[in-house]
Amino acid sequence: MIKIEVLGPGCANCKRLEQLTRREVASLGLEADVQKITDYGRIMAYDVLSTPGLVINGRVMSSGRIPSAQEVADWLTAAAGEVER
Amino acid sequence: MSLIPLESLAQLLAGGLAGLASYLAAHVLLCLLPAFYIAGAMTALIPKETITRYLGRNTPKRISYPASAAAGFLLAVCSCTVIPLFAGIYKKGAGLGPAITFLFVAPAVNILAISYTGTVIGMDMAVARLLLSLTFGVGIGVLMAQIFHQEDVARDQATDALFAGQASIGRAAVVFLLLLLGLLLVGTFRIDLLTQTRLSLELPIAGLDRLQTGLYQLLPFDAARGEEGVTAQGALLIGMLVLIGVTSWKGIEKSLDGLNRWTWLSVGLVGLTLLMASLGMTPHAGGLTLDITGKFLGVLIITLLLGWMLKTQLTEDEATNFLWESWRFVKQIFPLLIVGVFAVGVIRELIRPEWIQTLAGSNTLLGNVIGVVFGIFMYFPTLVEVPIARMFMDLGMHRGPLLAYLISDPELSLQSILITASIIGRKKTWVYVSFVALFSTLAGLLFGGWVDGLSVGLVAFYLFAILAVLAGALWWLTHHRGRTPAVELR
Repeated sequence: MIKIEVLGPGCANCKRLEQLTRREVASLGLEADVQKITDYGRIMAYDVLSTPGLVINGRVMSSGRIPSAQEVADWLTAAAGEVER
Repeated sequence: MSLIPLESLAQLLAGGLAGLASYLAAHVLLCLLPAFYIAGAMTALIPKETITRYLGRNTPKRISYPASAAAGFLLAVCSCTVIPLFAGIYKKGAGLGPAITFLFVAPAVNILAISYTGTVIGMDMAVARLLLSLTFGVGIGVLMAQIFHQEDVARDQATDALFAGQASIGRAAVVFLLLLLGLLLVGTFRIDLLTQTRLSLELPIAGLDRLQTGLYQLLPFDAARGEEGVTAQGALLIGMLVLIGVTSWKGIEKSLDGLNRWTWLSVGLVGLTLLMASLGMTPHAGGLTLDITGKFLGVLIITLLLGWMLKTQLTEDEATNFLWESWRFVKQIFPLLIVGVFAVGVIRELIRPEWIQTLAGSNTLLGNVIGVVFGIFMYFPTLVEVPIARMFMDLGMHRGPLLAYLISDPELSLQSILITASIIGRKKTWVYVSFVALFSTLAGLLFGGWVDGLSVGLVAFYLFAILAVLAGALWWLTHHRGRTPAVELR
């Protein structure tokens, strides 16, 4: 099971990133727990300077931008590989 | 006020509608539309690392303060960016001073606020807002760092990697940004080269003059009070704006995967609308005169270049992100502006010019303080402070207090005070708030003096004197209390 956190206080970009992530998870057929983190304290606990941020299994993959669908798919595939091992 | 006669209620509503319509037709297009796209392009095409790498804790202060101001100008149009970046600079990076500078500069000095102020109120005001905000932003940052330097040491232990990211802007992106900036300038500057008519065309389209007369009757205006009526051209442009809204919704909001036909349609419509807005249209009985000005030709050339770059020079990812960010700004800010402008139109009917003239009609200390106090206690959403300021100006407010209001309003609102307090604590926040109030008043007094005919040299002298007093206070703080200086100019 992959743990995914989308960091963002609820602005349009964060919602879009969440949408994108959920869609990629579904299309890859992965098992993942996607959470939206809106609390500033918890967001700042990660090393991000601006939102939206994407955290997969505790690691910050991107922040301050919306990654492309391909990037997200690659990260998810890699994370799925790690989880299996 | 419980017994407002129906008639005057109708008058209030008509005032609101008239204000909204003339505003949409006259001010939005050549200024706000390009400004939204520039803001979008800045967000999408300038990687944040190009600036944030100067905001780490090991950066010398003489670099980190200007970098914070630049970050406020280039990166922060949306509160999504402002607050995390503020907290990040404060807790993990360069510290309290640069963080405060960033917080001060960001809402007042972004491309949207400056260009909008320039068109609605005047270029002198926009330039004053830009320069004084930058100067005082750095000043307040340094002061805060000095006063609280002992508490400033306890910061989070974080990896420097957060600020070490390297990135550069692609050359195509730079050219694209410059072209957008050119579009904004060509659209808003009033110089002969741009405003002179090069060619007049007669089109046999009848009926537009009657439409215009009808519009004037429907939405009456009073030219003596600085109001503008809705022309036939204005009505056409409002229609185009609605079309752009619909196609952008279909083409940008609804698509997660890149661009589709609706996207290109909306981009084309934006170009067409800008061209229509830059034409001079004079309807008369039996026809329509089109005046082709230098401005029209400039807009034509630049929009064609922009379209070509968007299609062939930017990567698909860059283009998608650019359009999405621009659309996001429009979606976030435009509805607020519409409601705000309508409300301003209504309120204006209720305020008597004598009130404003008595309180802030001249450049006095009291007038400036009133401007600042009003700015602090009233909360208006992003950019709405500009039409409000325009209303005050029309009602007779002096430009000095007007600037004091314009600087303090976006800086301070209950909301921003609360968020700031949650990050840096209540004591620091209140000190910050008083500094903003003090400096906004000073900015208003100085600018008002300049407007009243004080020589540039004398204004510069006063500014210099204020800075000297500041420096003196800082020196006293650092030396007479036996503390080590927090601001090391390395």
